[in-house]
Amino acid sequence: MSLVTTTHPSGPNSSLESRFASLEALYKQAVAEISDMRGRDALKTQFLANISHDLRTPLTAVITHAEILRDGMLGPLNERQIESIRGIIAGGRQLLEQVGEILTYARGAANQLTLTPSTFSLADVVAQVTRLNESLLAKKRLSLDVRVPPDVPPIFADREKVAHILGNLLGNATDFTPPGGRVWINAKSGRGEVVVEVGDTGIGIAAEHHDFIFEEFAQVDATASRLHHGTGLGLTIALKLVELHRGHIWVESELGGGSRFYFTIPYPEDAQ
Amino acid sequence: MLIVEDNELVTGALRILFEETGRRVTVAHSVADAIAKGSKDPPDLLLLDLTLPDGDGLEVAKSLAKRGVEPKATVALTGSDDPESLRRCSDAGVTAVMVKPVPTKELLKRAKEWLA
Repeated sequence: MSLVTTTHPSGPNSSLESRFASLEALYKQAVAEISDMRGRDALKTQFLANISHDLRTPLTAVITHAEILRDGMLGPLNERQIESIRGIIAGGRQLLEQVGEILTYARGAANQLTLTPSTFSLADVVAQVTRLNESLLAKKRLSLDVRVPPDVPPIFADREKVAHILGNLLGNATDFTPPGGRVWINAKSGRGEVVVEVGDTGIGIAAEHHDFIFEEFAQVDATASRLHHGTGLGLTIALKLVELHRGHIWVESELGGGSRFYFTIPYPEDAQ
Repeated sequence: MLIVEDNELVTGALRILFEETGRRVTVAHSVADAIAKGSKDPPDLLLLDLTLPDGDGLEVAKSLAKRGVEPKATVALTGSDDPESLRRCSDAGVTAVMVKPVPTKELLKRAKEWLA
């Protein structure tokens, strides 16, 4: 201690003051850097929204041209040619869906998503989403069990966005469950809200990753992401859409023990 | 019919599609271009992209109506079905709104219905 006082002839207070001043300078620098990074992040999100919007137009043209050929409007084709063109159309539509997912994410990140609520039956939307996934489930020999009891009252929400949440959760359940497994959707009426569960007997998620998986572009395992294609945005989008409805989303899972994702949609206050 | 869309890749595809079903197709790439062509040669079917380089595609329908040109069907083709776009289309009184890419079979089937 005596050494410190000798090197700072004006006393210990002056040393503290100078350390305080340098800390304050560091703090200001950090604040400026954070604000700069937030600005850049917003720019990147906007870029993502613009580029995904612009990607849709040429893709539209590719798909339309391919459909004109497929339908023989420019002359008859043989079976192999038609099959090949069907591949172009399917690839184009898959790409378009992924671009749409990125666009939804970018709009959500920029708080540009709005709700168009209506009153509808949850069972109808579940049926609509499971129909769309039937062929994928069948391909992997996954059994699907749906239970939406008749006492679940109609909900007031954005129908398309609820279908989107369900679609993303069911898509993940299908992707991450090995052939022969089970997938289920249950719904029940809780206190002032409906609780929907999408479960599977798949590979599961370790507890330390339960928060991480809702972050953008997250896939727990790089090898898994090669096995399970996708944008890595499905759960981020589901979280955003649930939050827009003032609901909650969470997961119960352990590695190797399957996963159960839950989300809630509150009933309108005047209906409670 | 008149196809109003700024992207030539898209108008190229739609032109082939409708010409192969025996329609006479005019293409316009901007609001001004569409109003000029539509006034000169009134279409029975008007396909409108909403975002054009010089303004809102729905302006084409409004300006043509003022000039006494009222197609049997005016169809908005839009990249996104956000509630705002849908509301603007229904306010402008279009016959239908279709989200791109519209499957060709459906587009042809609907076109037949609109012009029946």
